[in-house]
Amino acid sequence: MISCDITDEFTRAASKLELGQLVRHKCFSLFDAVGALEIMDSKMDSGYLDGGENHAQALEDDYDVMRELRPEEVLGIMDQLLCHEMAWHMGHPLSQTLFTSIYLDRLLWPSPVSFDDARFGRDQKQDARDAEGDRPWAHLVLRVYCLALVKACDLVLARVTSECYYEEEDFVTLLFNRSLLSVFDLDHFYPVLDRAVTWLSEQEGKIDVALRQALVDRLEFRRNFLVALGQDVVVTKEPFKACLAHALRIEKSIPLGEPVPDAFSLKIQRRLASTMPPRPMVNISAAAAMDHLRRFCQDAIDTQEILDYNGPYNLSVWILPLPPFSRLSAAVGWVNSDGEQVSVQALMSRRPQPSVYIRALLQTFIASDRKILGRVAVQQCLYDDLAELVLPYSPLLQGSIDDVEAPSDPRFQMARHMEGFVRRASQPFVDGFRTACLNRCRVRRMLCHTIIEWDNLQVEAEELDAHLRTLTLEAPLMTPGGPPTYSYPLSSWAYHEKLRQLRLIIQLGFELTIYSPEEFPGMFWYLSHLCSTHIAHLDRIRTFVTAASTQPQPKSKHRSGERKRAFKRTLDRLDRHTTHLVAIEALALALHALYVLLDRHGLLPQTRSCHAYSNSRLRYELRMKPFLPILLPELVPFDIYEREAALHGDSDAVVLSRALTSVGEARKAWEGVLSHGAFLPPSSPSRREAAPPSTGDRSATEEDWLRDVKDSLRACIGASIAIGTVRQALSMQAGTRPSSDSAVGVDGGDGGGEGDGRDLGCVVPFRVEIPEVGRKGRWHACWAVPQVSEVPTV
Amino acid sequence: MGNSEAVCYLQSLLDRTLRVHTTDRRMFVGTFKCTDADRNIILAETYEYRHPSACVIRETAATITNDSEALEDAGKDQFKVNMTSRLIGLVVVPGQHITRIELEETPNSLLA
Repeated sequence: MISCDITDEFTRAASKLELGQLVRHKCFSLFDAVGALEIMDSKMDSGYLDGGENHAQALEDDYDVMRELRPEEVLGIMDQLLCHEMAWHMGHPLSQTLFTSIYLDRLLWPSPVSFDDARFGRDQKQDARDAEGDRPWAHLVLRVYCLALVKACDLVLARVTSECYYEEEDFVTLLFNRSLLSVFDLDHFYPVLDRAVTWLSEQEGKIDVALRQALVDRLEFRRNFLVALGQDVVVTKEPFKACLAHALRIEKSIPLGEPVPDAFSLKIQRRLASTMPPRPMVNISAAAAMDHLRRFCQDAIDTQEILDYNGPYNLSVWILPLPPFSRLSAAVGWVNSDGEQVSVQALMSRRPQPSVYIRALLQTFIASDRKILGRVAVQQCLYDDLAELVLPYSPLLQGSIDDVEAPSDPRFQMARHMEGFVRRASQPFVDGFRTACLNRCRVRRMLCHTIIEWDNLQVEAEELDAHLRTLTLEAPLMTPGGPPTYSYPLSSWAYHEKLRQLRLIIQLGFELTIYSPEEFPGMFWYLSHLCSTHIAHLDRIRTFVTAASTQPQPKSKHRSGERKRAFKRTLDRLDRHTTHLVAIEALALALHALYVLLDRHGLLPQTRSCHAYSNSRLRYELRMKPFLPILLPELVPFDIYEREAALHGDSDAVVLSRALTSVGEARKAWEGVLSHGAFLPPSSPSRREAAPPSTGDRSATEEDWLRDVKDSLRACIGASIAIGTVRQALSMQAGTRPSSDSAVGVDGGDGGGEGDGRDLGCVVPFRVEIPEVGRKGRWHACWAVPQVSEVPTV
Repeated sequence: MGNSEAVCYLQSLLDRTLRVHTTDRRMFVGTFKCTDADRNIILAETYEYRHPSACVIRETAATITNDSEALEDAGKDQFKVNMTSRLIGLVVVPGQHITRIELEETPNSLLA
């Protein structure tokens, strides 16, 4: 490479340019230029050295990594490193966390060629000689700890990046041109860890007992953490349990350590390959770090409950001639796919959401290699779901091309069509589970895309349904005076899933604080509207399932029992769905009515100014954007929406009684949901016996589910309290101004209650607060329940 | 040199690799994208090069003195130490901090 000095030419040419004139590449825009880091600007240029610093000092830290360390200091550094590691897990970049450690920097840069090369004192010649001889003991222990820590990060990174995650939202994967010892496999690490532990145990009398034990705990934690993280697709929870036990011990001995702040430096950022401006060090407290670590281990353990169910029942898989998945799940009282969704959603609804590693782990569990939970073919899982929802004991799901060879046989054709359908539907079906593992904002965003996919699927399924019924010779249901109707099982199944997703989009909108308070009346109405559509759809399915159950039964007694159970299971599941939807609908209606009242009397916090460009029509258009391309259910036109949302024409008294009735119904319905329990009970009596005796301790998934429903119930009670307060206010007002009741009702109708009907607020000073998600008083993230309180009169 | 000539010359440099030296003895090597009348230079895919610190030089010197072969190779009082480099991406080097600009030429482009 040759270079020539063009300083003079360049300078002369540049000086000829006019002020403001740019010479630029045609593809290079001002927008690109904004992203450029300005050299010599201390805020932008991570390599900038302050005038006062001398060159050597600025780059090299005065800290001597080879200095002797006291045991307390070793312990302190280890715990500082653990804090930084957890901060990285939480989503901070390495440059602001672990890579501020001078010890780690020495280990990792320049990249070690061999495992022994990863030492603190590499540039010192004598180190080669006494690799592990008379070097300070502290270095031996700390080095091993650091190595194991870096490898743990490597494993976490590999797991996360192998699944769907969002850079910077979930995690920062930048390595700044360093490597996390990924070339060295785990077998390198265990022997050194074991040697260090042995060595420590030999130091009796030289190191304080408590300190020595604390150091051993940390090394053992590191070993277990590596084992736990290093597991492949088959993951067991024992190593995570061991980690959790060690984490609790570590937490206790943290006070023994003595932090060494000088061992961490931001100056290292000056040497990291980074296209970012310099950023401050992230320091999280030891308590926060331990909290995160404990939850990490606990979540990892709980995640495996999904797999654990298979454990004790593996033997029975080979004995019983049934598809393994449904039997296993039935044996443990677990609805297959629906139950799985319960589990995934229950786990993912934890607050705060499980860390990105856990979510990646769950994605791996759910679907890898076209298998659900590592053993059940997607097709089987989908068939189970169809059987449970719309097609109990149906010939459509029983045939297989292998069984019937004659292509002219209708059973062959059914099997062929069904296989085609499964091929088509399996991707959206599996994606449904995986979507639940993304971060919550992405879940909603993804749902907005997948509903379109399900909409298309429904249309295709409808065509297939029409064709299949010529093969199954389905008898139509005759309604008096109406045309004959058919069941359309596959499209009904797709529609059910689509309606579920539409509802989730609205509910996540509340959870993610997307809607402003003035939209609450409308959005709660829309939620109730979706629920009632869904309930009607379930009723339709139920009608056809009930009709099918009266069809002639198979002759064999064994078969007829099986058939009966299949139908019962489907009807049970439909009832569960209905109960849940009724509960959501009723609570949504109650809150709708409540917010209408608050809005009419100007008690609702307003986020928009009167000069704002936005109006309710535009906002409705925006909110309904994801639903626009959907064919079914049809979008509610704005005029109807506005009328329904504001309850035009209903007086306050009518709205209030509506709120009171709905909230009462909601409470009953939520209690009903709670009494049903998280899972469908096993359908066959023999399997019920196979299920483990319920010992009273519930699974973590069930706990999550219960907590979720109980929170909804709390929200329900909160709503009824708020409605009670409003009723009291209205009656007080009616007492002072008898004529105002109806007048307010009419006034409040137009324009979404902007500024009108403030008289209630004036006569009886009331304050409305809507607790934010995560705050005390917000009982459930999806349910924005207001707190109405009387303002003490001064 | 008129304005159009100047523009012409600078445009011929676009997308070429420049080495821009700054007052703090760093060197930035990247693809030339944009400049203006103040000689501010925008470089893409830039590497920052820095002279080795005194202690690295000392250590290398010590190594070389110990190692007689290397000493013979390097001559008596001269030896080479690599500059440390790192990728920093898209940067703008303000004109007032620039001490020297070099154009990198590959042997191929010389032939052409």
